[in-house]
Formats: sequence, structure tokens, C-alpha cells
Amino acid sequence: MIIVEDVYKRYRSEHGMGKWVLQGVSITIPPKVNVGLVGRNGAGKSTLLRLIGGIDVPTRGRVERRCSVSWPMGFGGGLAASLTGRQNAKFVCRIHGHDDDLQDRLRYIEDFAELGESFDEPIKTYSSGMKSRLQFGLSLAFDFDVYISDEITATGDAAFKDKAAAAFKSLSDRAGLIMVSHGEGTLKEFCKAGILLHEGRAYWFDSINEALTEYKKGLSR
Amino acid sequence: MRTSSLIAWTVWKALFLREAVARLSAKRAAWLWLLLEPVVHLVFLIVLFGFVLQKLVSNIDMGLFITTGLLGFGLARNTAMRIKDAITANDTLLTYRQVLPVDTVLVRAALEALLFTVTALCLFTGLGLLEYQVFPHNFLQVMLGFTALWLAGIGLGLILSVASQLIPESGKVGGMLLTPMYFLSGVMYPPSVIPPAYQSWFLVNPFVHGIETVRTGFFPQYHTIPGVSMGYLLGFVIFTVCLGLALHVRFATRLVAK
Repeated sequence: MIIVEDVYKRYRSEHGMGKWVLQGVSITIPPKVNVGLVGRNGAGKSTLLRLIGGIDVPTRGRVERRCSVSWPMGFGGGLAASLTGRQNAKFVCRIHGHDDDLQDRLRYIEDFAELGESFDEPIKTYSSGMKSRLQFGLSLAFDFDVYISDEITATGDAAFKDKAAAAFKSLSDRAGLIMVSHGEGTLKEFCKAGILLHEGRAYWFDSINEALTEYKKGLSR
Repeated sequence: MRTSSLIAWTVWKALFLREAVARLSAKRAAWLWLLLEPVVHLVFLIVLFGFVLQKLVSNIDMGLFITTGLLGFGLARNTAMRIKDAITANDTLLTYRQVLPVDTVLVRAALEALLFTVTALCLFTGLGLLEYQVFPHNFLQVMLGFTALWLAGIGLGLILSVASQLIPESGKVGGMLLTPMYFLSGVMYPPSVIPPAYQSWFLVNPFVHGIETVRTGFFPQYHTIPGVSMGYLLGFVIFTVCLGLALHVRFATRLVAK
């Protein structure tokens, strides 16, 4: 269960504080529910994911994680550019306390990401699709109660999308998923519930279809 | 469930390995440059100041005199400068909740100490092969001096690492101030050349105390100026390290928040 309580967020820029991105978001995400985040560009979807994932802190309010939550996968975050895929994978295994079964985890990540020889090349030589593959494999190598995905499938090729779909499906029995995607099909395929972000506020829908309908209504208005 | 201290320990180990690999393999023959840089610097100074120095410190070999100054000052400055940029350099790794900004800072300090030890050992071995008298007469005092200089670098770096995140310009200013310190720390001249009237000002610089402690431990016949005190440097260390750590605690959320 993840509790987001009256969260406000604005970013600091070089010219002082920016405008409010989130204004009083209160949401409770129950365990083992797949949730899709919808909203316009700049509505605060990635911001909310980062707050839930704990890699940023709210300006006001509080986020409580009563389960283990993955880091947000997507956009190449969490990969050191000068190191190889394997070195990055080793680092992530180590900070999660998997020194003992490091080789098993590495093999899993290598198999899943299917990067071939590029696994031993620096991340800066990777395409965005290759980064997605690696990140996805990395987070699947550990058991989290909730996985956070920020458009992880958007840059992948067809084969990777199928693989990701299968992985997400198999996850849904034991773990929850919170995802941002602009693909309506992707959202409908994976998510049960939906959160609509609009003008700094969040609205919960028990069904993703309702959230999407409401989202489109807002667009045409 | 893993305990907090266990998580911190695994993060430090992983970060240390990551930093070491990045430092030693990022550029072509990066490890060679680590060693070559002080050697070239040393040769350069000996050529430039050798003749003058030999007159000023007639009873001590000037090669070793410059080496001790260069190593001592380099240790403090490199540690401070590397630490200052640790948070920015490891920004992507803060994606993982268990990695805190202060971890990246402390790990860089540890790596600097290791690299310094290796460099210093190589340098002294090399000088020893050239038949320099490289064994210090008071080994413990030399170690104490170097350790205090390292800690002073950590203290300054801790403060600068937070300051440069809060006010980016302060990091630049801090870096700019460390460069003239090189000339004010008695690296290539003995403090005794400073007129007695100005010596009390000269001794405000904490690095002088560390470097002179190393030298008096190294050369039995070396006479430094009165007022050089290990206590002054250790006071500086305690003050800066405590202030730096306190800043990291006080601004913990600010350092993570974007």
C-alpha cells in the first residue's frame, strides 16, 4: 500500500521557485493493483512517479510506502554513462545486498536485456531502446511489491514490447505496477485502475477505461 | 529485512568499486596519469626552484623537501576538490533510494586516500632507487601529518559539496580559493623565508601546519618556524568535518529534492 497525502510539488530553478506542478494530491494505492497514470504533457505524471519512488521529495505533504517499491524505470535514469551495462548491473545488485548471488542475477539481467556484446560497452554508446531493456531487466531481477514504469516500453522495438508485456503479466500475480504511458492500448492491457492528473490534482478511478474517458472529455472541452 | 547500517555498508562498497573503476579505466591509461602527474610536477619544480632552494634549506635534500610539500598539499586539495563534485557526478545513482548524497562524498574521500597511498609509495620507491634517503626518521609523525591533511580536505570538501548544491557559484569560488593556497602553503619554499612579522598571518593557513609536521617528522635536521602546531590543524579538522556533516544532515532533503 502506498499513501500519498496532500502532496504539493514545485521545482527549484535558477530563477527561484517554479510553478506548482502538484497541488494537494491525495491518493491511496492498494496493494497488488495495477494503476495507470493519465494526463496531458506536463500534468505531473513523472513527478508523481518520482515522488512515489522516493527519488525526489515533496515540497509539502508526505508519501508513505508500506511495501517495497522499485525505482522508476525509464529515461535512462540510474545508469552511469561511463560504465558498461555489466558494471552498472553489478552496482545495482550490490546496493540491494546481492553480493552472494551476484553471478545469478547478472546472468538473469543479461538474458533478459538481450544486449549481446553491448552489455560490456559503456552506457553512453547505448540507444534509448537499449537503455530501456537494461533498466527493465535490472528492476525485474529484484523482488519488489510495486514496480514503477515511466514509459519503459515506449522506446523498445516490437520484440521487446512483447517481452515486456509477458513480464508485466507474470508480475501482476505477485506485485503491483504503477505506470505512465501515452499508449492507450498499453494502459488498457496492463492496468486495472487509473489515476487522472489534471491541473495539479489527482483523481482516482477504479477502472482505467473510466479514467481514459474522463481524460478525453477534458481534452475536447 | 536489512538493517540501516548494513545497507549503508553495501552502498559504500558498491560505490567504492564503481568510483575506482570509473577513475582508473575511464580514460586511456588513466592510472598512469595518476602517477605521472605528481612526477612531472615534481621535476618541474626541482628544475625551476632547485638552485634557489638548495641555498635556503642547505642541510636537506631539496628533492625530498618538495616531494613532501607537494604530496601533503596535493592530498588535501585533491580530496577537497574531488569531494566537492561528488554529488553532481553521482546524480544518476541517487535514483536508488539507498544511495544518499553523503555516501558519494565519503566514498570519494576513501578512494582519494587509497590512490594517495599508492602514488606516494611509488614515488618514494622511485626516489629510493635514485638513492635518496626516503625513510622518515619519525614515521608516525609523517603519517599523522598526512592523515590530518586528508581530514582537512574532507572537512573542506564536505562543506563545499553542500554549498555548491545550494549556491552553485560558491563551489567555483571555493575552487578558486584553493589555487592560491598552493603558493601560500610553503610547498616549494620553507616557511622560514617569510619575514617574522608576517609569520603569524602565514600560519593562519591550516595546510602549512600539516605540511611542516610531515617535514619535521621526515628530516631530523629540519627546523621549522615557531608556531607550527598540530593542534591548530586538528582544531580546523574537527570544526570543518563537524560543520560539513551537520550541513549534510540539515540540508538532507534539499540535496535530494529537484
